[in-house]
Amino acid sequence: MAASIRLLARRIVRDAFRTINSSVSVRIVSSSCPSNLSACRCFSDGAADKSTHFGFETVSEGEKAERVYKVFESVAQKYDVMNDAMSLGVHRLWKDMLLHVMNPQPGIRLLDVAGGTGDISLRFLNYVRSQQERVARRTARANQTPSWQEISTSYTTPTEGIEMETEARESRAVVCDINKEMLKVGKQKAESMGVSSGLSWVVGDAEELPFDDDQFDVYTIAFGIRNVTHIDLALQEAVRVLKPGGRFMCLEFSKVTNPLLARLYDAYSFQMIPVLGEVIAGDWKSYQYLVESIRKFPDQETFKQMIEDAGLFSVRYHNLTGGVVALHSGFKL
Amino acid sequence: MFQNALRRLCNETLRFQTTVKYVNFLRGVRPLSVSARHLTDVKDALPFDTSLLEFLVCPLSKKQLRYEEKTNELINEELGIAYPIIDGIPNMIPTDARLIKNDPETPVEPA
Repeated sequence: MAASIRLLARRIVRDAFRTINSSVSVRIVSSSCPSNLSACRCFSDGAADKSTHFGFETVSEGEKAERVYKVFESVAQKYDVMNDAMSLGVHRLWKDMLLHVMNPQPGIRLLDVAGGTGDISLRFLNYVRSQQERVARRTARANQTPSWQEISTSYTTPTEGIEMETEARESRAVVCDINKEMLKVGKQKAESMGVSSGLSWVVGDAEELPFDDDQFDVYTIAFGIRNVTHIDLALQEAVRVLKPGGRFMCLEFSKVTNPLLARLYDAYSFQMIPVLGEVIAGDWKSYQYLVESIRKFPDQETFKQMIEDAGLFSVRYHNLTGGVVALHSGFKL
Repeated sequence: MFQNALRRLCNETLRFQTTVKYVNFLRGVRPLSVSARHLTDVKDALPFDTSLLEFLVCPLSKKQLRYEEKTNELINEELGIAYPIIDGIPNMIPTDARLIKNDPETPVEPA
């Protein structure tokens, strides 16, 4: 046990040096960059030299997508367990809040992008089904004292026919993720829960969705948009696939408003979470990336502006857990 | 007030447990009905849900796709590419798609 603690301590020190070094190297690169970049851009592919952030590191855009893929490929098996451990189960409340705000009616079509293990889609199907059951129970209770007219009509028409008509449009959830491993884990989870109808799985890129225009009533992306290389492209695709009147909803980690809570949250993120990642999933670096990528994501107001720029209206956000998570919502009109 | 909430919580968990047991029992019954419904002959164990084709399109051209049963792929005739379906999950990433040559269908990865 002493050995593992020493190992952890060494890792912490090494990571501290790495972040210092990377920030120093970024400063050096940016000072010598301007002339080199303009020359490079003429000769090489755009994605190869345009840089973006991967956590606190600076990488090329092509590299970011690949590294994000590797991160999720390695954490896929333990993803749900880690979510519970890191957030102490609170992530379930955040996702339940998303469903509660969405308040889906039976018969609508949901696209869950970066859906991974399918948490949102499974909750959506449960919500819609329990609503249908509630409605059915209410009608059954109402039918317990029917009028003579209703009784006579029920003798002539078969009851099964009426039930089938009301469920003409089955609710449908499509889970789209760029990572096959996450979808595989999600599919197994759905099968073990016994959910099979109304749920589909597709491997696709959020920046280039393989869906037709005006197809979905609700588009959700939960804790996924910060991993997308070009967030504006993902937002534009969201606007494209949504039906007019459709709703865009995004759950993402955001800026904490209270300064004391912010300090506690930072300490917890950088000290506890990579350690948990190492102990439970055996992967320190992926969870280091996770907490760094949260810091690089724009704050609530900036993201709201980006959503409005993409062409959505009535954009608003709710802060959950003091701003740790923000739920953004907009409509396509 | 709390007693009501507690009572409801107990009822919900009991109901959930019973539905889980019921569902696990049903799981044994379900595969038979699934295999009867899907008449297509597919290579891998899980059949592909063709109702997806209603809104699934090629991510590059945004045109409709054709489901090829023999090779278990989704084909875009126009661009001549085929997207593979693995474990019943279609892979719609353009770089993972296969280029279809005119004569023998040799698998060549597009750039």
